[in-house]
Amino acid sequence: MLSRVAASFYWLSRYIERSDGMLRMLKINYASSQDTVQEFTWDPVIRIFAGLDDVESSKLENDSRAVLKYMVTGKTNGNSVLNIITLARENARGVQEHITKDLWQCLNEYYHTIKDPKIERALQREDPIGVLDVLIKQVMLYYGTVEITMERGEGRSFMNIGKYLERAIQSVDILDTKFGWIDDNPDVLTDTTYWKHLLLSLGGYELYLKTYREGFEAENVLEQVALNNDFPRSVIYSVNNIQRYFERLKNDSNIDDFRDLSFQIGRLQSRIKYSSVRSIGDEGLHTFLSQIRGELYGIGNRLNEYYFAHS
Amino acid sequence: MQESAYFDKYAPIDGVWDEMYGPNSKIRDHYRKVIEYVSRESADDLNRKEELAKRLFMSQGITFTVYNSGEGIEKIFPFDIIPRIITASEWAFVEKGIKQRLTALNLFLKDIYNNQFIVKDGIVPIDIIYSCPHFLREMYQLQVPHDIYIHISGIDLIRDHDGTFYVLEDNLRTPSGVSYMLENREITKRLFPDLLPQCGVRSVTEYPTILYKNLLAISPRQVSNPTIVLLSPGIYNSAYFEHTTLARLMGVELVEGRDLVVNNHKVYMKTTTGLQQVDVIYRRVDDDYLDPLVFNPGSMLGVAGIMGAYRKGNVAIVNAIGNGVADDKAVYAYVPDMIKYYLNEEPILKNVPTFQLGNRDERDQVFKDINKMVIKKTNGSGGYGMLMGHAATEQEIDEYKIEVMKDPRNFIAQPTISLSAAPCYMQGELTPRRIDLRPYALYGPDGIEIVPGGLTRVALKEGSLVVNSSQGGGSKDTWVLS
Repeated sequence: MLSRVAASFYWLSRYIERSDGMLRMLKINYASSQDTVQEFTWDPVIRIFAGLDDVESSKLENDSRAVLKYMVTGKTNGNSVLNIITLARENARGVQEHITKDLWQCLNEYYHTIKDPKIERALQREDPIGVLDVLIKQVMLYYGTVEITMERGEGRSFMNIGKYLERAIQSVDILDTKFGWIDDNPDVLTDTTYWKHLLLSLGGYELYLKTYREGFEAENVLEQVALNNDFPRSVIYSVNNIQRYFERLKNDSNIDDFRDLSFQIGRLQSRIKYSSVRSIGDEGLHTFLSQIRGELYGIGNRLNEYYFAHS
Repeated sequence: MQESAYFDKYAPIDGVWDEMYGPNSKIRDHYRKVIEYVSRESADDLNRKEELAKRLFMSQGITFTVYNSGEGIEKIFPFDIIPRIITASEWAFVEKGIKQRLTALNLFLKDIYNNQFIVKDGIVPIDIIYSCPHFLREMYQLQVPHDIYIHISGIDLIRDHDGTFYVLEDNLRTPSGVSYMLENREITKRLFPDLLPQCGVRSVTEYPTILYKNLLAISPRQVSNPTIVLLSPGIYNSAYFEHTTLARLMGVELVEGRDLVVNNHKVYMKTTTGLQQVDVIYRRVDDDYLDPLVFNPGSMLGVAGIMGAYRKGNVAIVNAIGNGVADDKAVYAYVPDMIKYYLNEEPILKNVPTFQLGNRDERDQVFKDINKMVIKKTNGSGGYGMLMGHAATEQEIDEYKIEVMKDPRNFIAQPTISLSAAPCYMQGELTPRRIDLRPYALYGPDGIEIVPGGLTRVALKEGSLVVNSSQGGGSKDTWVLS
């Protein structure tokens, strides 16, 4: 497979996964902003997904509609859903003869949906949850189409590596931001709605209720989001899948590169697998998460170098 | 006599050959079945068919992007639902004519880049060759596989008022539009169920198969499975859809310049499992951008060193580099002489009479009759930079004359040929619009093959004679009857 094609698969998949994470996060946060007596702040969301500095962020943080506009259809925001879907579609266009016609049409539709001026208007005037649901449905259609129509070859491995790498990075960022928030606002430690919304935005609320009987505890939330093997948005689940799909790329012609990266992924996997909530507490959550994030970025860089011919 | 509701309202243009409207106000026989079929449909039905065609183009992403105020708007190439029909005997004539012409043009390219006998024998003047910007010294004595230069060509044909075919232009570099020949047919199948087999329309689907066979045959490496790639400028190119379509239909890899690298005079593509040698490149990148080391040094679309690999014979490039000297509009005038010189045959297809503005007598003649002339740049394309004498204002003519005098060699003039007309469906009725025809010829080691069909371009604006898509042109499905 051409390196450029592999890179396009990988990025296409990363962008779609990112849009999914953002849309779900926005939906739950918006719902939560309608359900609070204090002034609701979007600061954590903006920090996770937009990379704005404090000054810019403070201009937006209390205005739900402005945040939604900026994050979903914002043209100046490089990481808005609109812009990343445009990028995803460009990547798909460049590999059109490698993806199925169904998948191309599905992405085309996602793109035309978010480009529709009606979306932007509805986001400002109507119920934003309805709008976000329409978009989330487009992502689900995409995943269904990939599952049903795409051949199980090298391309799909790169797609899955991209998807799970993006997901792992997102979950790490969310944990880091949400737990970091406690340092400045100790009250939230015992605030049930704070944890409930975090879990809802990751789609892990129901699993949490089934696993833990003693109500919302920060440590349990951490355990589920970082270490639960069965939670599809957990860090360990994502890393396990990166490992799983990377192993399929094994090929004699570049075995040295393969071994090097395989080693790196395995090391990260073990690092998380043999951690517990207590050991993480001992070394400091922020230190732990920073290290994991560094490793994840490292994997991305090695992929670039070894497989996408961007040395 | 009553023929049908749509036909009775049809008003052919005076003094213009109409493909459908025959003598004595009758439908020509080969159009009869289609007109009868259409006549059974109401205007609403036909409007729905038109809508369906648009939707099919849009959902398949057969679009080009127009950039307007920073935002890309996707548009489709206008399509007229009424097919253009060519009879078996007309086609046999056209096919024979194109084969003859291409044989001569290919010999000309071989000659001009080797011994230049045609110049030495005084048939083609040397200054016309050397002043042509597409004549590339880099090609001198470069051996191309099987002596084939023009693997893929699109010859533009038009018909005068009496129905005679003329060659308007030879496109021997990277002719585009063949995907529309294929897609238009697919759409017609959906629009008019059962009509194609009833009329005995010949299939065009063989095109990618023949092209693939030819590409395979010219691989310089004798291996069982040579690597064939289609080199595209990338997703922002207006013909990108065509590139992906052809790559998909032939099952070859679509690459961009940045996917390729040259090492030790061999071309490789960068894959996830290392470098893989490339044997044949069907390039859709112009000569100028192909190799930044030899041609335009600022090119980001090409591959550094590819020319060296080509010269060494390690890679085959399709079409050959430097073909522009044979489809230059000033050289065009000499094609009939080439046919006589190389083949000792009378040209089957006529040339449009052409005046060289570089020649003083001819220029004076043209300026005198400028109202009956079309003046074109010799290296222009896409309908840009033309002067249509009959439609231009005094001022436009004066300004154009000044432009010509700066370098007369760059201009030719031809008498205005009235293109033939064919019925188009517009707002509930059939109206005549001007058309041309571009059949696509494939030249391989086994000879020249022309898929029965082609691209019919149509000037959708009333009275317009310019069919280029950049100037408000559209296209039609083109039927060749068996």
